Amino acid sequence: MTSLQTDGRVADGRLLTVEDLRTTFATERGPVCAVDGVSLTLDRGQALGIVGESGSGKTVLSRSIMGLLPSTARREGSIRFGDQDLLGPNAPDMSRLWGREMSMVFQNPMVSLNPVMRIGEQIAEPLRIHLGMSRRDAKATAIRLLRDVRIPEPDRRVDQYPHELSGGMRQRVMIAIALACGPTLLFADEPTTALDVTVQAQILELIAEQRAERNMSVVLVTHDLGVVAGHTDVIAVMYGGRLVEIAPTKVLFSQMRMPYTEALLQSIPRLDQKSHTRLNAIPGRPPDLHDPPRGCAFAPRCAFARDRCREEAPPLATAENPDHKFACWYPVGSPEYHETKERISAGLEIGSTS
Amino acid sequence: MQRLAASVMLILAVSMLTFGAMNLLGDPLFNILGPAAADTKPESLAKVAAAKELYYLDRPLPERYVRWLGDMVTGDFGVQFGSTGQPPVSELVKERFPRSLTLLVMAQLLAAMIAIPWALISAARANKPADRISTVNSFLLIAMPNFALAVILKYVFGIKLGWFPLTFKATDPWLTRVYQTFLPALTIALPAAAVYQRLLRTDLITTLQEDFILMARSKGVGRQRVLFKHALRPSLFSFITVFGINTGTLIGGSLIVENIFRIPGLGSAIVEAILREDFPVVLAIVMIITTAFVLVNVLVDAVYTLIDPRVRR
Ligand SMILES: Nc1ncnc2c1ncn2[C@@H]1O[C@H](COP(=O)(O)OP(=O)(O)OP(=O)(O)O)[C@@H](O)[C@H]1O
Ligand code: SF4
Ligand SMILES: [Mg+2]
Repeated sequence: MTSLQTDGRVADGRLLTVEDLRTTFATERGPVCAVDGVSLTLDRGQALGIVGESGSGKTVLSRSIMGLLPSTARREGSIRFGDQDLLGPNAPDMSRLWGREMSMVFQNPMVSLNPVMRIGEQIAEPLRIHLGMSRRDAKATAIRLLRDVRIPEPDRRVDQYPHELSGGMRQRVMIAIALACGPTLLFADEPTTALDVTVQAQILELIAEQRAERNMSVVLVTHDLGVVAGHTDVIAVMYGGRLVEIAPTKVLFSQMRMPYTEALLQSIPRLDQKSHTRLNAIPGRPPDLHDPPRGCAFAPRCAFARDRCREEAPPLATAENPDHKFACWYPVGSPEYHETKERISAGLEIGSTS
Repeated sequence: MQRLAASVMLILAVSMLTFGAMNLLGDPLFNILGPAAADTKPESLAKVAAAKELYYLDRPLPERYVRWLGDMVTGDFGVQFGSTGQPPVSELVKERFPRSLTLLVMAQLLAAMIAIPWALISAARANKPADRISTVNSFLLIAMPNFALAVILKYVFGIKLGWFPLTFKATDPWLTRVYQTFLPALTIALPAAAVYQRLLRTDLITTLQEDFILMARSKGVGRQRVLFKHALRPSLFSFITVFGINTGTLIGGSLIVENIFRIPGLGSAIVEAILREDFPVVLAIVMIITTAFVLVNVLVDAVYTLIDPRVRR
């Protein structure tokens, strides 16, 4: 275990509050709103899953919270982290938080480690920068961290270069780097998509275990609902840059309301498929963010869409469970939903997208 | 290892070519001595005898080649038959080569010292006004003819400001000569630095887009440290390649600059030798340049492996 810092930190309770977050990129074709009015909260030690198809804005959302965006991006809304306002006029210098309070595990471990720097040096870097450790202490801690993430022969590995390690090992190194300074919030952006299936499970297990051990909060980004099922407390579903459903994991799986969430669940990739092959199980294409539709963004692809859906965007409404919110006019379980379902199964109408 | 063998092969090939030029294109004796070869004057006859001895002309061709090569390797470059007194070629080389070498080392050091910070600064501000201005400047430097730059530098720093001397005295002590070499070195360094800057800037910008750079930033590594510790090293390849090629080319001396600043280096030596048809001198210099060129290449390969562990086998 690394030395965990405690001063000025949220020991328990609310760690992160995001309100009406909007992230816009300036592009040649005009502004692109990749995150559109997202609100969510996260408690210390909790795990939040962000799911959605490719391009739904999961990465941009997590990087917006972390503040790790290109200069073409503009953020509006509010992000509170502990007692700090990350978007206000008194926003702290983010590079002091990065790696220390919040860190990120990237999607592709093959390209996310510096190829010309020893593993040990890369782990030691945040320790030296943030905790002011000496070279020797940092190296000793790096070896301990490598052991924490179950890398065999850490004394030898610490002096190796990334290309001498397998993909799974490299992702473990990435996790070791992210955990080095004992952050309170860990972002894991599709941490397993570049890895093969057996290694995926091990990495997710490792993250879960470290979360429990460190009482760390985790934001787990994935396009695979199956991945988040066993590893999160809350799941947020994104579509076209918006939050379309959010609920405690159990509630979501037992009472999902958005037809999109339902479609996502049905499109869980089979185990024999390489999971980073893009799922096209939901017919149709995600909305064009340059020119978002007026009504519900899912309407052109939704079997349950009616006129109202195309006219008016559904707001994020609270379900029976106060922690469960969804944005849909004719949600799963509504009379209209059942009516459409019956019509489909009766074969009178095949889809209602026309 | 393979590269080393290839390098030796290259040196041998060039030696065969130069040897062939001397021995197979016309009468070797005439090539070496010029018109004196056909003379019957006593001093010419003495020369002929000396040349026959020195270049093993009465031996069969293969043996002649091997012996000649052996002499080259041991630093015996023959005799300057074209000059009065017929001093050995090695004397000329010993006198001229260090000057060109000083000029080369200084020019390349200056160029690297200018190019690396310049590239880092402009890559960090890619396509912002500062970077655009620097782009215009570098193209100006690259496009400007060498002699024009030499004249400008000479005028500004030598005449107007008087910071640097304009003359080169071979008898001056070593340190003074280094000081005298500064302006000519700068003349070579500036356009070279502009080229290096272009290459390095482009590679840096590419590297800065890599995921591992974002990863480094997400660890809380500051922008400067990201540039120096993470982006620079993996971006050095094209820079080092061209730096190596330039070094090889400059070993022969930069003729124009040596002339304008009146530095009697290897560049002027080869021209003088060609003009007075002093074949042995030309051959010796060609061999020196080739060998140095190949050595530089071996060195560049070594640097590659230092920079990137993935190149190591
Ligand atoms: N730098 C940028 N400039 C302009 N648009 C961007 C930029 N980065 C992301 N986007 C846009 O934002 C949208 C959301 O992208 P994001 O990468 O967050 O999707 P994602 O949900 O993470 O998808 P994936 O599963 O493929 O990783 C995309 O339409 C993308 O084109
Ligand atoms: S609002 Fe309408 S179109 Fe959108 S998901 Fe619900 S039913 Fe489908
Ligand atoms: Mg993504």
